Amino acid sequence: LQKIGVNFTVSNKDTVKSSDVLFLAVKPPIIPFILDEVGPDIEARHIVVSCAAGVTISSIEKKLSTFCPTPKVIRCMTNTPVIVREGATVYATGTHADVEDGKLLEQLMASVGFCTEVEEDLIDAVTGLSGSGPAYAFTALDALADGGVKMGLPRRLAVRLGAQALLGAAKMLLESEQHPGQLKDNVCSPGGATIHALHFLESGGFRSLLINAVEASCIRTRELQHLADQETISPAAIKKTLLDKVKLESPSLSVASASKVSLFTNKSPSSKKN
Amino acid sequence: SGGGSVRTAAGAMEAAELRVGFVGAGRMAGGLARGLLRAGKVPASSILASAPSDKNLDAWRESGCRTTHCNLEVLQESTLVFLATKPHVLPGVLQEIRPAVGPHHIIVSLVAGVTLQTLQRLLPAWTKVLRLMPNLPCVVQAGAMVFARGSGASDEEAALLKSLLSSCGLCEEVPESYINIHTGLSGSGVAYVYLFAEALAEGAVKMGMPGGLASRIAAQTLLGAAKMMLETGEHPAKLRGDVCTPGGTTIHALHQLEKGALRATVMNAVEAATKRACDMAED
Repeated sequence: LQKIGVNFTVSNKDTVKSSDVLFLAVKPPIIPFILDEVGPDIEARHIVVSCAAGVTISSIEKKLSTFCPTPKVIRCMTNTPVIVREGATVYATGTHADVEDGKLLEQLMASVGFCTEVEEDLIDAVTGLSGSGPAYAFTALDALADGGVKMGLPRRLAVRLGAQALLGAAKMLLESEQHPGQLKDNVCSPGGATIHALHFLESGGFRSLLINAVEASCIRTRELQHLADQETISPAAIKKTLLDKVKLESPSLSVASASKVSLFTNKSPSSKKN
Repeated sequence: SGGGSVRTAAGAMEAAELRVGFVGAGRMAGGLARGLLRAGKVPASSILASAPSDKNLDAWRESGCRTTHCNLEVLQESTLVFLATKPHVLPGVLQEIRPAVGPHHIIVSLVAGVTLQTLQRLLPAWTKVLRLMPNLPCVVQAGAMVFARGSGASDEEAALLKSLLSSCGLCEEVPESYINIHTGLSGSGVAYVYLFAEALAEGAVKMGMPGGLASRIAAQTLLGAAKMMLETGEHPAKLRGDVCTPGGTTIHALHQLEKGALRATVMNAVEAATKRACDMAED
């Protein structure tokens, strides 16, 4: 990041103080700690954007409200292809975020792909579809390349052609008024190679596998959200070094885990504290 | 009707004046005849059917058609002759009627698996021969029929057949190679639909609906969906999407169908029936 000219600091507080739009890009279990840490520095001008899967707007607003009466919170779900400016992003605005705040985020995220506003309760489904989606595509591409290699293509060429085929198909669909079923039909000449191949896909339950995948990802996101709501976090999910840092800057902070070993004691780690 | 006129020995130009004969009076022939009668295209008195025994012919007579045990008589009395015997019987029948076949005749074979090449070999070289593959719902004017023409048949014969049979449902001219596919898709296909309807109804019965009602609703559902496909001309995938509200009942049900690989199974069925039709033709 520094190589491309981004300012870098090890201080979360500094980041907050010098920002107007604040992206929270830590892992979901860490969000509550970060909010406790930077809460005091959040001002009316700040737009807090959380990209953390399964972390609700209300949980963020609740945490911040102890510090700031009307925190502007926007919840966002994006995906990795933002790197190549072909991301898929949705956002939901919180209680105190204005229309202009949403539009500002939309402008920012639209510069790296598709971005649209949704109701918060759809974000889990979006996670299942386009959040995890690139992983399904990578899996498919790996397998397609294997197929090409099996039939005699060099690996590099197979990967290149497979990726281009998916890219081209996606572009056709996005630019067409036609239903994907119709576009599929357009490729399938009677008795030809493609329809034979599609029969194999159908026999393998290809469609249902994809439906299952989206469903599983969505359901898991909801599960993680429940876990987060209860703030039931295993120590393994929290890196010790990070918490030590948080502890240094906010001595008042304490871990909400009841039965676990306290990580905030000055004594040796082997002694337990209730 | 389009283009030129159909020349017959009696100078008949309209289908209504056609004298129609059936050699063989089984289920398929009966279905076609019943469809023509219901559509009012051909008066019963213009229909003559032949069969070895009276077993099948009683129903024809009840509809007002004329019947005979003599195949030659059908050729002598009719201009449009449907051949509807069982496949193994046909060669013998063709040999029998061959002397009576003239240039005015239009011979339409309904016999499964017998190619135009075979028919033309067993009939005089210039004979106007066509091959027709209907399906049973012709009886209720909702049939799906395809036909292919032999070398002796011209546009006029094709147009006549299409015009006559369109009263029984969808009728399209195709290359002969599509006929076995039509068998797999639509000839046998009606049975797939009956199976599906039965299963739909059974699902409803499991959920607490009486069987008779469930069955009627299942049939109407299939009818309505098919009608929408035919009238809107929209892709079935799009029509399917139109029914699926997000997170609703339909998408949940469709997921079950996809899990069961219904699509592949149906493709397998069409393929199996088509291949069987091809195999039987070679026998």
